[in-house]
Amino acid sequence: MEQSLSDLVIERVGFGIFVLDRSMKVLMWNRFMQDNSGMAAEQVVGKSIFDSFPELPRVWLTRKVESVFQLGSFAFSSWEQRPYLFKFDHDRPITGGVDFMQQDCTFMPLTRGREVVAVCVTISDVTHVSVMQREREEAVVKLREYANRDGLTGIANRRFFEARLRDEFSRWQRYGGELSVLLFDLDHFKDINDRFGHAVGDTVLRVMAQRVADAVRAQDIFGRFGGEEFALLLPCTPLADAMVVAEKIRTTICDTPVEAEGMRVPVTASVGGAAARAGLPGYEVLINEADAALYSAKRQGRNRSVALA
Amino acid sequence: MRETALTEDQRDALQEIANLAMGQAATRLASLLDTFIELSVPRVRVVRVEDAARTLRDMTGIDEPVIAVRQGFRSDIKGEALVICRSSGVGNLCALVNDPYVHSAYESVSQAELMFDVANVLTGACVSCIMNQLDRTPIFSAPGLLGEKLALEDVFQADVLAWRTALLLEVNFSLEDKTFRAHLIMLMAEDSIRRMNEALNAILSSL
Repeated sequence: MEQSLSDLVIERVGFGIFVLDRSMKVLMWNRFMQDNSGMAAEQVVGKSIFDSFPELPRVWLTRKVESVFQLGSFAFSSWEQRPYLFKFDHDRPITGGVDFMQQDCTFMPLTRGREVVAVCVTISDVTHVSVMQREREEAVVKLREYANRDGLTGIANRRFFEARLRDEFSRWQRYGGELSVLLFDLDHFKDINDRFGHAVGDTVLRVMAQRVADAVRAQDIFGRFGGEEFALLLPCTPLADAMVVAEKIRTTICDTPVEAEGMRVPVTASVGGAAARAGLPGYEVLINEADAALYSAKRQGRNRSVALA
Repeated sequence: MRETALTEDQRDALQEIANLAMGQAATRLASLLDTFIELSVPRVRVVRVEDAARTLRDMTGIDEPVIAVRQGFRSDIKGEALVICRSSGVGNLCALVNDPYVHSAYESVSQAELMFDVANVLTGACVSCIMNQLDRTPIFSAPGLLGEKLALEDVFQADVLAWRTALLLEVNFSLEDKTFRAHLIMLMAEDSIRRMNEALNAILSSL
């Protein structure tokens, strides 16, 4: 018997089409379903779909189909909530973690008059959409991380540092405790740039940032504040302890000259420290006080750490 | 606006149709969900989209963030249906369709999936019944989330929605034990409202 045009379309079309009756018996099964499941229409039609595919979610699928019979309306399933109904292979060799073909399903009532006689299920392959979404999510995570990092040194940038300082400061305002900040600055950095060139200056900044990052505790936030100025936020730390850290940073920096482009560049740093105390109106004032202490360390001859008196 | 507004007769006819449709929808929902859901007498208004949020606020008294799920429907009359519910009431809403899974530990269902299911069921039942009364068999598109914590105004951003006129059809769904409210709104372009006017005229003249 010659197939009708509709039959030919249903056979060839690029998505799955099959029909179920109210007892979940398969009435129709197209080529897409056959090719992807490895089960031909002759094997599947006339039997319960769960006989051929026992791994299908029985409660869920029965309920979907029953809702279409009862309401005479559509039902849907999206890959975003339920990645797939059938465990079909996808045709993308490299998909970074997508195990099976991602599927959007539509359950349509087939009606004669007002009566729903069967439910037609369509399966669309949306693997490409899910892969794109995954790539976009990864890109967003990466962008967010870059937005928080200083390009030259790889440590936190000023924006991120200030955001964390703001959080820690409001926590301190609410719960009390201790909170200290250190600001430090490489001494005569302009001279290093002038004598050895900017490439060496950049290497000095990178190496210093790395040394200090390795020396501080995991819970402290270390960031580049701008130019040759760096900041360290020490939650739950009184000023006296912070100044011990300040000395550790200072010696870490000045003990070993930086090797850059065959030259040994001696570097020292001045450090200023301040701690949150009652009456401070905002985190900006804490920074200002650390800055004043840093200024006083410079005035006293550099290569030293000074706490706000 | 003038030409898409409903005449008094058309409005009465639409109200009558909506009443009949909600009766049908309630019966179908009850047998599907195995619990009796009370549907309020629907309130029908035709408003400009920019007035929709204010009108709906007046009708429902909602002053909190809402969750909104949208779904397209089409025949020669086509449009968009929104299910809106207070964000704090999502749990109750989902409990409507959750029951069968209590006994099926390994077939877990996410809250997002439940929410789409329940929105789809409410939209499907109500919109299908109204369209059937107008002698149409609608085709639906998959539900999509507009947002989980939106102000009503953000649901009806005139520059985001394709529609300038909204047929507000406001229905409360409530349960015997836990009362919660969800609201269904149908949005249509002028063209579809005109077609609906014609369909209503045909019904009126056949009386």
